[in-house]
Amino acid sequence: MSDLQLSDICKSYGSLEVIKGVDLDIKSGEFVVFVGPSGCGKSTLLRMIAGLEEITSGDLTIDGERMNDVDPSKRGIAMVFQSYALYPHMTVRENMGFALRFAGVAKAEIERRVGEAAKILELDPLLDRKPKQLSGGQRQRVAIGRAIVRHPKIFLFDEPLSNLDAELRVHMRIEIARLHKTLAATIVYVTHDQVEAMTLADKIVVMRGGVVEQVGSPLELYDDPANLFVAGFIGSPKMNFLKGAIEPGDGGQLCVRLPDYGGAKIPVQLKEAAPGTPVTIGIRPEHFNETGPAALDLTIDMLEHLGGETFAYARHGKGDLVVIETKNGRGLKSGDCIAARFDPDSALVFDVNGRRLR
Amino acid sequence: MTNGIGRAASALLTYGLLGLMAFLSVFPFLWMVLGATNSSIDIIKGRVLPGEFLSTNVDKFFTQVNAPLVFWNSAKIAILATVLTLAVSSLAGYGFEIFRSRHRERLYRAMLLTLMIPFAALMIPLFIMMGKAGLINTHIAVVLPTIGSAFVVFYFRQCTKAFPSELRDAAKVDGLKEWQIFLFIYVPVMRSTYAAAFIIVFMTAWNNYLWPLIVLQSNETKTITLVISSLASAYYPDYGVVMVGTVLATLPTLAVFFFMQRQFVQGMLGSVK
Repeated sequence: MSDLQLSDICKSYGSLEVIKGVDLDIKSGEFVVFVGPSGCGKSTLLRMIAGLEEITSGDLTIDGERMNDVDPSKRGIAMVFQSYALYPHMTVRENMGFALRFAGVAKAEIERRVGEAAKILELDPLLDRKPKQLSGGQRQRVAIGRAIVRHPKIFLFDEPLSNLDAELRVHMRIEIARLHKTLAATIVYVTHDQVEAMTLADKIVVMRGGVVEQVGSPLELYDDPANLFVAGFIGSPKMNFLKGAIEPGDGGQLCVRLPDYGGAKIPVQLKEAAPGTPVTIGIRPEHFNETGPAALDLTIDMLEHLGGETFAYARHGKGDLVVIETKNGRGLKSGDCIAARFDPDSALVFDVNGRRLR
Repeated sequence: MTNGIGRAASALLTYGLLGLMAFLSVFPFLWMVLGATNSSIDIIKGRVLPGEFLSTNVDKFFTQVNAPLVFWNSAKIAILATVLTLAVSSLAGYGFEIFRSRHRERLYRAMLLTLMIPFAALMIPLFIMMGKAGLINTHIAVVLPTIGSAFVVFYFRQCTKAFPSELRDAAKVDGLKEWQIFLFIYVPVMRSTYAAAFIIVFMTAWNNYLWPLIVLQSNETKTITLVISSLASAYYPDYGVVMVGTVLATLPTLAVFFFMQRQFVQGMLGSVK
């Protein structure tokens, strides 16, 4: 277990800056997940922590010790790769003990640690097999086992589940969560799958274009996103964004008028906003209900019945699609006109730059 | 009906062509083996049937040629050239693919251009260089010019493209230095590539004729290809003996190919899957 600090970390390839001054504080035992779209720099940042990419500027410290120029093997980290990166010419046992052998650990100790990790991950019957004789899930477990035997201060996972099928991904996700509990380890985990991020993380770091957009617990990010990007990235199906403008409402309360939705007026609670300011309001699909005081008049375009819930894709005239999640949607049909009701307090407001207005 | 006839004609043409190609490939080998059992006169007359002169030809060959010495010379040169070529060229191919630098592609293209220089243009300067180094009539002189093979470097660079970069990253995290990654990860992972390159380089080194002819001058240093050539260019060549020599000279390359054919095919398809 160990603390990890990133202070004003930057990475450039020539004139191209890919990581732009990241500050981050990861506490011992925390499970931190980096999420963001492809090319946002999350894997690069992880590789910089691992020592596989040079740090252009800034400081990386582990337990207070500056690690910028320290060899990857001496940082006290272990990494699990997307493609598992198992040595194909070695057995599972050899793969797991390889780093220890190079570190000069005694043979008996290697055997003990490999056995211990194999027991945790239920790899005992597979120890003498080569990676090509294993399934995807087994390979991933070996890759994790290879990390465990090193007793690292920090585990780094680079999209470890993206090569697995959906069912196995859920299973491995639970395994990784269990492992975090068992080892009480500090884990930094990269994924573009927000379900993985929401279910595994103590703390999520949302990145875009080499910049950290927001850091917080999964529910903080879900309930209280700092900007339009985070609001859209966290949550599935994603938040609906409706363009409008601030207008004075009844009784001095401000409201947002939505011209593309029949001029609907949504009352909002904002400390300061000048009438006429263009804004975007965000409503999560699951926040639509049957009793809310605000309503949008929509026509259903398409329906997805998932059994437990229904997703209705609806629009007003030729406006953008609005996704509505409902528990009572079995009776709905395409072409139905509905009043999609919601509580205006659950709607979030963003300015033209995507910043949250409060 | 018309379709059926068309398909049959097409199959006939295909098999006919393939049969012809197979015959053209196999016939020289067959002729060589049958020739070893015939007398020189029979061979000149064009006899392509098994004869009764095999033991006579073999006796004559071993009387005229110091076979253990020439085979040892050939083996020494071929093995040394193969091992050194694979070591140097695989390192170069790996380096060209893995390490980025501003001049990498320029240097690589310049190296590939050397493939266009015919050996005839190189042999005199090479001979002078070897002379100055005091290496004429040594096996080192035969081996040295072959070990930096542009073709083998090219082959290794292409194959290295399939070597997963994550294996290298994992090895770095495991504490390996660059040379250890090459030796303990790259070489074993790419063993099929090495096997395919081994066959190609070994056969080329074993069959090498022109450069050894120029640089090896005493009978003690000559290789089997030179000896067969001298048997064939005698005033009265005994073609039966020449054929025995040729058959014997072919056996090591056949053995190498036979034992490594599986890896050869894998290597040609790519070591990493």
